Order: sequence, then C-alpha cells, then structure tokens
Amino acid sequence: MQDYTKFKLKSNNELSLLLEGKDNLLVLSCNKCFKPFDGSCANEPELDDFLAIARDLGVNVTAAQRVDFLCNSHRLSKLLSNLPYQASAIVVISCGIGVQSVAELAKIPVYTACDSIKDSGNHGISLTDKQCDACGQCFLSTTNGICPVTQCSKGLLTGQCGGSKNGKCETDAEKDCAWEQIISQKSLDHNANSNDIMPAIMNDFTQLDDICVYNYNKISKHDTADLALQIQKKRDESFYGGLYLKHRKVFSAFLTLQKFPLPEKVVLPMSQHAGMSAEPIVRVGDYVMVGQKIGEAVGTLSSSVHASVSGVVSEIASYRHLTAQHETVCVTIISDGKDKLHKSVIPIPYWEDLDIYDIDAIIAEKGIVGMGGAGFPTPIKLKAQKPIDTILLNGCESEPYITADHRIMLEYADDIINGLKIILKCTGAKQGIIVISDNKSDAIRHLEAKTDEIDDIFVMALWSKYPQGAERMLIARALGRKLEPGQRPYDVGTIVLNVSTARAIGDAFTRGMPLIERAVTVSGEKVRNKGNYMVRIGTSALKLLDYCGVEDDAEIRLGGVMMGSLLDNFDVPVIKGTNAVIATSRSITWSSDCIKCGRCVNVCPMELLPLYYPHYEATDNFSAMAQMNVNHCIECACCDYICPSGIDITGAVRKGKKNLC
Amino acid sequence: MLLTDLFKQGEFVITSEVGPPKGCSLETLLDRADKYLRCVHAINVTDCQASVMKLGSLATCKALLDNGHTPVLQLTCRDRNRIALQSDLLSAAYFGINNVLLLTGDHTTLGDAPNSKPVYDLDSVSLLKAASMLESGSDLDGNKLTGSAPKFAKGAVVSPCSDSVNAQLHKMDAKVRAGAEFFQTQTVYDPERFISFISRAKSFGVPVMLGIVILKSARMAEFMNKNIAGVSIPQFIIDELAADPERAKSGETGVEIAARVIKECRPYCQGLHIMPLGLEDKVPQLLECL
Amino acid sequence: MLITKVKPVDEILPLVSGRVIALCCEGCSEVHYPEKDVVAVLNKIMVSGTDNAIFELVYMCSQEHLDLYLQNNADLLNEFDTILVASCGVGVQALCGKVRNVSSATVISVCDTLKVPGFQGLTPFKFDCALCGECHLNETAAICPITSCAKSLLGGGCGGAKNGMCETDSAVECGWERIYKRLALYNPPTP
Repeated sequence: MQDYTKFKLKSNNELSLLLEGKDNLLVLSCNKCFKPFDGSCANEPELDDFLAIARDLGVNVTAAQRVDFLCNSHRLSKLLSNLPYQASAIVVISCGIGVQSVAELAKIPVYTACDSIKDSGNHGISLTDKQCDACGQCFLSTTNGICPVTQCSKGLLTGQCGGSKNGKCETDAEKDCAWEQIISQKSLDHNANSNDIMPAIMNDFTQLDDICVYNYNKISKHDTADLALQIQKKRDESFYGGLYLKHRKVFSAFLTLQKFPLPEKVVLPMSQHAGMSAEPIVRVGDYVMVGQKIGEAVGTLSSSVHASVSGVVSEIASYRHLTAQHETVCVTIISDGKDKLHKSVIPIPYWEDLDIYDIDAIIAEKGIVGMGGAGFPTPIKLKAQKPIDTILLNGCESEPYITADHRIMLEYADDIINGLKIILKCTGAKQGIIVISDNKSDAIRHLEAKTDEIDDIFVMALWSKYPQGAERMLIARALGRKLEPGQRPYDVGTIVLNVSTARAIGDAFTRGMPLIERAVTVSGEKVRNKGNYMVRIGTSALKLLDYCGVEDDAEIRLGGVMMGSLLDNFDVPVIKGTNAVIATSRSITWSSDCIKCGRCVNVCPMELLPLYYPHYEATDNFSAMAQMNVNHCIECACCDYICPSGIDITGAVRKGKKNLC
Repeated sequence: MLLTDLFKQGEFVITSEVGPPKGCSLETLLDRADKYLRCVHAINVTDCQASVMKLGSLATCKALLDNGHTPVLQLTCRDRNRIALQSDLLSAAYFGINNVLLLTGDHTTLGDAPNSKPVYDLDSVSLLKAASMLESGSDLDGNKLTGSAPKFAKGAVVSPCSDSVNAQLHKMDAKVRAGAEFFQTQTVYDPERFISFISRAKSFGVPVMLGIVILKSARMAEFMNKNIAGVSIPQFIIDELAADPERAKSGETGVEIAARVIKECRPYCQGLHIMPLGLEDKVPQLLECL
Repeated sequence: MLITKVKPVDEILPLVSGRVIALCCEGCSEVHYPEKDVVAVLNKIMVSGTDNAIFELVYMCSQEHLDLYLQNNADLLNEFDTILVASCGVGVQALCGKVRNVSSATVISVCDTLKVPGFQGLTPFKFDCALCGECHLNETAAICPITSCAKSLLGGGCGGAKNGMCETDSAVECGWERIYKRLALYNPPTP
C-alpha cells in the first residue's frame, strides 16, 4: 500500500534558520494518519531526523513526544495540560492542521518543522487515488465520473487543451490526460465498435445547457465554516465521541405490547446475569409453577432464577448461551399450558413499612437483575458502598430499532414509578431522575404527567446520541459528573438502572411476581409483523421469529444491531437481558487493512485508541492491549460501525478482555 | 480588417506569427515584420508563448497595427482571470485590434517561471463565450457594456494530428458553440491525417487554416515529435532533413517540405497559418512556391 | 460521504432518464450526512416510484467494499438506466470507475462536495490546511494565511479589513488581524 505521508521535514537550511537562538524546546511529533498502520507509533523518521538536526545545531530540546492524531483537540488539550515540563516554545512535526491545533491551545510560540503535501482521497477517508477538490459545484455527472477539476492539471471544464501528447499531460509525461480519459469513456459508452464516434460525442455534449465556468463564489467560506462548527458542536454534544444513528424505531414504536403466546417449552439458563451461576434446586420430572424458584443464587454476586411457565422439568443440561462466555446449566420446562401461579407469588403492598434490608432481600429473592443487557444483579447494585444522592432510570434506549423500553414507559408507567420509589427508599437517595431520549416525546410527556405530583421524581429529556444509554455517558450528561476510568457510578453518588428493571421491581412488590417475563422488540426490515411483546424468559428466539415471520436471507441478532450478538442458531432462549430480536438485510462484510484514518478514535466515547486493539489481537499481544486500557472499553461498537476498512474491532476487544481476565 | 470578412469573400487567408522579445524593445521585431511579413493577411502575436515571460501581446499588436500590419491578438487563460481577460479584449477593441485567437495556454510549469500560480479561471471555450457576450453588449456575468459593443473575429486552435483526435473534435465542437469563427491548426506534416480530420470537422462549417512550421533540422523534427503535443512528423521528412544538414539549416529544405504539405492540403482548408519560429525571411519564399 | 450539499433538482433532472436507482453513501455519517435533503431531492426526481429504487451503502470510496457491493448487486444495477449517487466527489469517482463493468447506466452526481476546514485532520473543524507543501506557519504565529485570508496573501493584511473583519465577509475575522494579535502575544512589545 502506498504511504500517504502528509508532511515532510523542511530543508536543513530552513530549519537552522528557524532554530537559530531558540532554546528549551518541546517537540511534538504526529504519528500521522492515512497510512498503513503497523501498530507501532515510533516508526516515523521525522522526529529522529529533526532531533539530529537540532543536536547538530546545538539547540536544547527539553522533551520530545510522539502523539497519535495530534489534530484531535480534545485529546491534545489533555496532553498539553498534563505536560510535566515548561518549555519556552513548541516545535510541531505534523501537517498544518496539527500545528494550528497546538498553536490554538498552547500559550507559548509554536513553530512547524514541516511542509504539508497534498494527498489524494482524504475526503473519502479510505485511501484511493481519487481526488475531490470539494469545489462545491460537482461536474462529475457530465464527465463520466472523472473529475476535471482535480485530474486536469489546468482544471479545464470544457475539454482537452492542445498540450496532451500520447494521451499524457503536458506537465507530466507520466500523468494521463484527464480529458482524453473522459472522452474515451464517452466514446466507449455510445459506440464501442464504430470508428466514427463524432455524432455520439456531439449529441452527448449538446445536452449541456451552457458552457461550464467555475463559480468561485458558489459556497461562501463563511457558510462552510459555520456548517463545520455546527457539526463539531453537535459532535461534542454531551460527551466526546459517539454517533448519531438512524433510529429506525418507527417500525415498532407505536405498536402496543402484546402478550406473546405461552411457549410449549422454556429453556432457563442458570446464568443470565453477571457473577456466579445459580444452582438448580429442581430435578428432572418435578412439576413447577409460574414464579417458583428453580435456581438458587450462589455467593454474593449472583441471582436466583424462576420458572416462567407451569409444567414439568424435562431436562437439566449444560449449553453455551451465546451471550455468555462459558457453558451454563439450563433447566428446560415443558409447559402444561395452565400457567398456574406458584404460592410464593403474593403481593407485598406494605413495602413502605419494611426496612431497607428486607426490601433488598425481596428484590434478590425475585431474581431481579439489570435488564439493559449486562445483567448485573440489582440487589448488589442497590447495596452501594458509598452514599447515593440520585437514582438515574435509563430510558434512553439509544440503539436503533429497539422500542421495548419505550413501550414499557408508556404502558407500565405506574410500575416504573412504584419501582423507583422502592429504589429511592432502599438506597436513601434524595431524588430519582427518569432520563429519556428526545426521540420518545410521547413517553416523556406521559411520565412527566405521571410524576408531576411526586416531589422527588423527575423526568429529563436528552438529545439522542449513541451510546447515550451507557452508564458513564448518562451520568455525565444528566448530572454533569464525570467518571474516571475504573470508577463506578456510586463513586459519584449515583446508581443507574434500566426502566425495565424498575418496572420489574415494581411488579415484584405489587404482584409479587419474580422476573419471569420481559418486553422484547421484534423488528428489522426483514421481519414481516414487527412488534413489541411481553415474552416469558426462556422462550426461544426461533419461536418469536416464526410467530412474526422472517424472510430467509435475513441477518438476525439477539439484542441491538450495535451491541447485540449475531445468531447463527436461532434456537436460543430469551433471557433477562434480551431486549430485542432484530432481523435486517444481510450486510456486506469486507475488511481490509487499517489505514489509520483515526475515525475510531474520533467516535470512541471512552476516549481510547481502538485501532491498536485488532493489531495487538492479531499477534496475541494482550499485555499491550491492557496497556492501551482495553478494559475501559464498553463495547458500544461505534468504532466497528465507523471503520472504513470494515475491521471487527469490538471482536478483538472481547478476545482481549477474555484473555486478560 | 476582420479575418472573418476575408473568409466570407472566399479568400484563402494567410497568416504568420511573431513572438515578442523578452525585453522592452520592439525594433527588431517590427523591422523583420516590415521586411518579410507584408505578404500575409495578418500576423499573430503570441502571448508569453510556452509560458516564458515576455513583452505583452497587446502592446506588440498595437505597434504592428501602427506600422500598417493587421495583427491577431493571442490571448491565453493562463495568466489572467475573467476580469483581466475581458478587460484586455475591450482594450484590444479600443485600439482597433479586432482579430483575436483565444487559447487555454501552456501550463506555467513549462516555462521560465515555473513557480507561478496557474490561473485558468476561464478556459479557451469560456473565453470564446466571453468574447461573444462582449460582442452582444454584456460581459460574461451579464452586466451591460456602455457605448457600442466591440466586434471581433474570434479564432481558436485545434490539433488535427493529435493522438486523441476525438478529444480535439469534442473541444472543437464546444469552441464552435461558444462562438469560434475560424481555426488555426497545430503544424501538420501528414496530409492524410489532416484530410481525414477535415472530413470529420467540416460539419462544423467553420473555416480551418492549415498550420505549418518551417523545419530547420532533423534534430528539431525529432524533438518536436517527442515533446510537442499534436505534432507528428513522418520519418521520410526527417530523413530528408538529415540528408543535407547545411541546406536544412538555411531553411531551404523546410520550405520545400512545407510547400509540399500545403499543396496537398490546400483543397481541404480555407487558409494557411505559417509559424516561422525565427525564419520569417523564408515566408515570402514559401508563398512564392505555392 | 463527507460534507456535501444537495444540488438543486433543476440541475439534476435534465440528466436523468429511464429507470433510476439511487445509491446513497452513508460512510462518514458521524461527520455529516444531509439525509433529509437527499431524500427530498430523490423523491422529487424519482416520481414514478415503482421503477425506481434507493439503496444505502457505506464507504463507496473503499475499493474493497465497492468491489463486493458491485459483485453482489450486478444484476440489480444492470436493470437501471440512471444511477444517482449521493456521495462526495471521491465516492462518485470510485463508483464510476468500477460500475461500468456491471452496468451501462449513466452515473449522475446528486451532491456538491463542500470545502470544509479540517478535512485532512478529520477532527478540528476550526483549522484548515491547504497542503501547499511550503508551510508558512512559522512566520504567522501558526495561523495559516493561505486558508484564513480570503486572498491567501503571504505578506500581510491587504488593507481591506474593517474593524478587524474581512472585506469579503463582515462576519469573518481577518486572518492577518488574527496573526498580528497572536504574534503580539508571543512577542510582547518591550516598553
């Protein structure tokens, strides 16, 4: 692959003039972008060359540092504010943008040691020989997709000049004449075998209404600068990185939750949560009823599991559920269709009189875990080690397609509010805030009305940006509190729970029902009858797909398109953290080498350098991954989504994490 | 005198060409024009040919006009934006210089000031359009001119022996539509290719003047073959020049070759443009041969 | 698709004929994609509906991806007479170069690509680099005179600035004023 070097060191003469009389310099060297990425950040020769020149000139360089994506002002400002030394000037080895970025932030003189070189393809991000001058007056429609502005050395708009020789440009015998190519394409199109192509050419060009002339005033610099700042502002909104994804929620947002028909069979994994697997307390042949505990929590970080149908236990065996790392014991129950309630399922209306330990015990007893996906046992979360002042209920649902929480908020508002009240009591928090993305205005209005009279519960609407629903982003946005890597929400006095989890808690007290069903969205372009369903835990995804109708060539995911898992076997049970089954058109998968475009860095909400992970993963260099803070990754998949080389970065991260733990 | 009027009268129009000096004295140029170029209808004045900075075309045209010649102002898009180009056309019209040849111009990197900024705000086609619009009483942006509108004979160039004839024809079409009223061609040594070109270009209905350079040596011919766009000199002509280098140097051989080519092509064109490249003294001799 | 602006319908319509397919590149979606404008214009062009189709793909400029896409959709693309492309100029050029192998349709660009600061560096939209190959930043307090001055003047302000604003746009600060200000910051005048 061609090295798309973007800058080169100035000549020795020029540098010696520049450095004359200068002292105590800090040198910042950009590791460059748009180049084959070999994982090393120490192979750009310019810094060493520059230091050698400085040494020869007797100039005192206090410090030199290599930086990835020097132009990333967000990262750069952190770097500059944490510098341990005080230099009198900064010399920058980078393209002009890097230099200007440093100069904007530094309070001392900034000099460049480089000249920047025009390269091709950078607008299109992926490396290519195609150039676009971004002239704002695209002529490509009439020139067979060959750009006369950039490919003709004179930028001629109406045809070849007389300088072309043997099809080459007069300025460079190696360079093809752009107009020759444009014309030969035209003749090819119209009359491949005829010698006389004149009529075709003439006809083709009389279609042009007038003669092309540049309009240098078409797009004002002011407008483009405005647009750029607007985009930047939108990008910086609430947290660094992230994406504005197409919501695609309209498919199912207005469809009310339906009771999904009772399945004939449920498969209940004993590990649907973070921590230790539960221990089965039933045997094959036992008759169990709805809400009956069949798996007992083991140890401190675990959760119990309950029967979601009434019937006979037919099998207890180990399977690997695709969302779990390891095999887990699963209890299979053949439903008798009677849906008989277990005697333990009785309302607990007097919760206000209970002390917090009893409440916590009940939440534990009812097998409640985080329903947003991670499945962290809720009672453990509520027993925070630090004082909690605010509970955040997460109703953002920033993943495309999914509307399960949206419907829950509209149809189970009372349960949610009740659950939140119980949580407030249990944690002693002063206030509860239900945070909802602004693309769910009906849910915002509904919950606002419902909480109007309640003093310590509020609703907050947030601009929908992915992954707004991730704990850190949510806390930063809703409370303005920043979590340092390694910190937990309780370190900043808050706990984040999913709205569905709050509903489950409410339900556990009002009906006494353990967590045996949840809302699941079945959606995607390839689903015929899209909808939101209340599904018993343990129901097979295959059942849902059969019921809703799915086209053959679909790509099916359990969970969202960003963070969910791609299914090859559809016969997997819905578990406590399954919020959706999505069937979309098969995406074209391709992958090529990393071109170091820096977009993953740009969208990573955890401010990591994702591009390094696949590189280290390829050589099983997990300690290097750990050094690059792979454990901070929240696997939001923004980097995968944006990667122009189609690299499975999150896959590499998962592998790295697995090997490190 | 407008060249277009001569074409209309059925005249076989003959032009030649001078290049202004790199300096501010026109004495030699005017002297040679007086001596040798009285026999042609009009004299082209190049505009910093090959991107070499020289005395201006407009000033030289004015000097020739004052000496009783008919100049043809060559104007390229390389060094001026549309404001300057249109302004220069008006200046030319003010001086009574109405014959213009409108070109894109060699790239700046080819000349003696390769670091300069190439302009190409307009190109030959849009410049022809600009001239047409000035004639209709407004500028390219549609702003009205005051007083009477200028009148030009608008010339353009084309390379019949280019290796990409299709591209040339396409551009010629665009030029005609933009208002080109006559064409001067790049030098021709292969009548067959010229004739085949004309057979396709005659549908435009615009007079074409055969371009010819008087060759001085086999080396010159080889150099042109290798480096000059749109030029293709057959091997037998090169051999002819190589046979007697002394005679070739004097221009005698070149005149013979040129006369032969012109005679073959004459039935297919409406005029002749002789580019003497310093051999102005041979122009009368060449014309006598015809 | 990086920063683009949709062309006026009148500019595109005369070029369109027959069955029309639109390919919209959403590759650089984290930066800017004028989705609503694109859909609005496409709806105006593709009136008949049944004969037309709109497809989205990402990174049209990626050779590998484009090859795969064209390979998978050759039959489909062959059914159309006009391919409308909503993408930056690089995407259009990349597609045109390859699409001819599978389809003889005319390719029409729907967008104008805008020159926006920060293209090369991706993140900092505030800064622009003309990649001129002869960096002047050392003399200009690291504010680029080529991109920040409307006339790209190298030797100082032109005299057209009024109240520190550029003569071409009273809402844009004169690049040279900014340079002078920062130079003063670097080298405070000695009393």
